[in-house]
Amino acid sequence: MPEYASIFTRAIIFFIVLIVLTRVLGKKQISEISFFEYVSGITIGSIAGEVIMGLDSSIGHGVLAITVFALITLLVDIISLKSKKFRDLVEGKRTIIIKDGKIMEDNLKKEKYSISEIDSLLRQKDVFNMADVEFAILEPKGDLSVLLKKENRPLTPKDMNMKVANDKAPQTIIMDGTIINDAMAAAGKDRNWLHTELDKLGITLENVFLGQVDSYGGLTVDVYDDKLNVPTPQVRPLLMAMLKKCQADLELFALETQSDKAKAMYNKNAKRLENAIDTLKPYLNG
Amino acid sequence: MTVISSVKQSIATLKSIEAQLSELALLSQEEAAQRTFHDMMLVMEEIQKDLHDRQVEMELEEPQYKNS
Repeated sequence: MPEYASIFTRAIIFFIVLIVLTRVLGKKQISEISFFEYVSGITIGSIAGEVIMGLDSSIGHGVLAITVFALITLLVDIISLKSKKFRDLVEGKRTIIIKDGKIMEDNLKKEKYSISEIDSLLRQKDVFNMADVEFAILEPKGDLSVLLKKENRPLTPKDMNMKVANDKAPQTIIMDGTIINDAMAAAGKDRNWLHTELDKLGITLENVFLGQVDSYGGLTVDVYDDKLNVPTPQVRPLLMAMLKKCQADLELFALETQSDKAKAMYNKNAKRLENAIDTLKPYLNG
Repeated sequence: MTVISSVKQSIATLKSIEAQLSELALLSQEEAAQRTFHDMMLVMEEIQKDLHDRQVEMELEEPQYKNS
């Protein structure tokens, strides 16, 4: 067999072997959470490269080496699941770098990080002022995780005592003009509903590149023809406007009427509508 | 526009709101949202009933506006 044919077959064989092994090892290998995973990934790759190009070594030995190494990695993963001690040994421990706003110089020295390196890691987390940091931890992967002081953290609806409605993840029900049945089932919708909604928008299924349904059953679509303007769902804001109009009308009736009984009835219902508006606000806005 | 026709219009608006709330209650994925929409739908129904009673009252008091 000429050399180029040999390289060709080796490359294809190892391509397949690598695909199988990466499926077995899974996502954890890519995330490279620990130094061990980082090293084992490189090793598996370089064994494959070595055998493809080094024509003297046999394919069988190469496959064996890669499989053994992948099995060891898998074994380490499985034992780490069971034992905390083993996990700490293989994957390393986190190191506290900043605690209560103060830098732990001893820990820094232990990890052999200089202060300018820590500064650089903090900047990658958008922290330029070390005084803003309450707590920072060096992860086994080498990332810095930063907890800012409460006053420097982003404002959330909870901080503002705002009531917001929880919503479910949107489901992508149309891709490239085909209906995704699993997503339709997850969203609890059927084809009849979809066709009605598409008719309302005035487009056909084949024209839709992407269609998503939000947690209120509103359908958002992107069509192939970018000149076409598709209206975004407006049902909920419109409903809110109607509620407000109705409430204002009732208050007006209360002012206009001569009868005390009717006035009381109008006022009572205006109040009821006001309460309803307050309750519905988190669901109908946005 | 007479008062009675305004009241009738409000009843119609409330009916529409009720229908939309019921649609949202059926289409929503979140259980909390479903319940809120449903509860508010019932409130709309009660308000409608009160307004309807008032409409009948007004029609009895002033029959000349009955068909306005």
